[in-house]
Amino acid sequence: MMEVRRPGLQTTVQDTGRRVRALGVPGGGAADPLALRLANALVGNPPGAAALEVTLAGPALRFGADALVALCGAPFEATLAGSPFPPWRAVPVRAGQTLDLGGAARGARAVLAVRGGLEGQEAFGSRSTDLRTGFGGLEGRALRAGDRIGWFPLPPAKPPRAFVSPELRTPTGPHHILRVLPTAEATPDLLAALTGRPFTVSGQADRMGARLGEAVPAPHDPNRISLPNVPGGVQLPPDGRPILLLPDAGTHGGYPTPLALASVDLPRLGQLRPGDRVWLRVVSPEEARAALWHRERAVRGAELALRWWYKET
Amino acid sequence: MTGVTIERLGDAALVVRSPLARELLADLTARPLPGVREAVPALDVLTVLYDPLRVDAGGLSAALRERLARLRPGGEANARTHVLPVTFGGPDLGWCACQAGLSVSDFVRALCGTPLTVAFLGFTPGFAFLAGLPGRLRMPRLSAPRERVPAGSVALGGPWAGVYPRETPGGWRLVGHTDAVLFDPWRPEPVLWQAGDRVRFEVRA
Repeated sequence: MMEVRRPGLQTTVQDTGRRVRALGVPGGGAADPLALRLANALVGNPPGAAALEVTLAGPALRFGADALVALCGAPFEATLAGSPFPPWRAVPVRAGQTLDLGGAARGARAVLAVRGGLEGQEAFGSRSTDLRTGFGGLEGRALRAGDRIGWFPLPPAKPPRAFVSPELRTPTGPHHILRVLPTAEATPDLLAALTGRPFTVSGQADRMGARLGEAVPAPHDPNRISLPNVPGGVQLPPDGRPILLLPDAGTHGGYPTPLALASVDLPRLGQLRPGDRVWLRVVSPEEARAALWHRERAVRGAELALRWWYKET
Repeated sequence: MTGVTIERLGDAALVVRSPLARELLADLTARPLPGVREAVPALDVLTVLYDPLRVDAGGLSAALRERLARLRPGGEANARTHVLPVTFGGPDLGWCACQAGLSVSDFVRALCGTPLTVAFLGFTPGFAFLAGLPGRLRMPRLSAPRERVPAGSVALGGPWAGVYPRETPGGWRLVGHTDAVLFDPWRPEPVLWQAGDRVRFEVRA
């Protein structure tokens, strides 16, 4: 059990999300799924275990029992019982200690995994918090001071000395090159307008989407029928300021979607913060696939090594 | 098979356009294809989300075409009828009646007399795109969406009618309000309706 002493800006329970878009329910799940996967691997959890996602300003958490935790994602300042707390590795926490996460100089989100995985309301096969409709995780809302959250018991284990290599970590800002694939709605003019210049991430950036600050000439078709959205879709509303879709985006949308992010760069969406600069770069499906496989092999290597550690000890 | 197109949407989704989209969804639910994560319907469209580490677009596309070739238009064997009591009187009711060339009471009567069908679910949990509006009841969407549409609002937009399950922004014309609970994740059936169901509005007594 841990008690929330200070909730941070927006701290929510997240796992890998749901697959019931056909019912109109957003996918949800950690905005930086790579950070979730690595944090879980570090403490010997299955990849989809629920963890805390912290945003921009972190929480202070007092642990009521011994635990093994790992913090992955944006480089948040962190202390444990007043001493510097190392990210990207498994760290034992003693009952009574407080883990205090401050702000991050770059990036937007980090994931704190606890060995065993967090408890929390499960809806449609996921404990992810759906803030908009208000279900999942902790009553469908962000943490508040005084909340208590438990985790599932797992036999205690000696933490591995390993840490996650920097090449595996989701890059944080302030400059992002995001690989994109044109969709059937991409015209040559739109492609040129969207990929020929940098954009700034606006203040309208949350778990539903990140709005970019600059406008491009947008086609406006009020009769476009709503179509299913995909993670990483780049929507173009009538005012021409593109929206990059994050995990809590609505399942369908009526705006043209001329680009979709390559899967390999989806975790990066979770690290966009207002003021960051974004370049959209078109790649071929083959390049997108090769890049995804390249990273996947490295992540699986790390997961295997950590699984081996927890099996042996 | 004619009338089918399959387009890529990024590197992890395919958009299948076919009059048999709904039947394909039922088929994929009953007999999942390896690597397919989810299939999400719209009107005569099924977007298939897949794991690009397990399947490639070409192979999946061929498998989907093969499935479609064997499907036949299905009946609505499991269709239910939902009658929704509506308090008419939304901010756009008068405007919509005028646009339809009807008095408000005739407009309400026409809308309640229209049998609607759930074409697909989406946008927000529990929201259904209701098809079947005759031409004169079809209303253009607002040019600028409202920031907040109250939960339970009955609305018209383009060819569709719909009910907002919770407060959201929305660009459709609001003509009434219902207390029906469209989405409750803790009910055995969280969503009130499913594609193919029939819907009728009635004036709340």
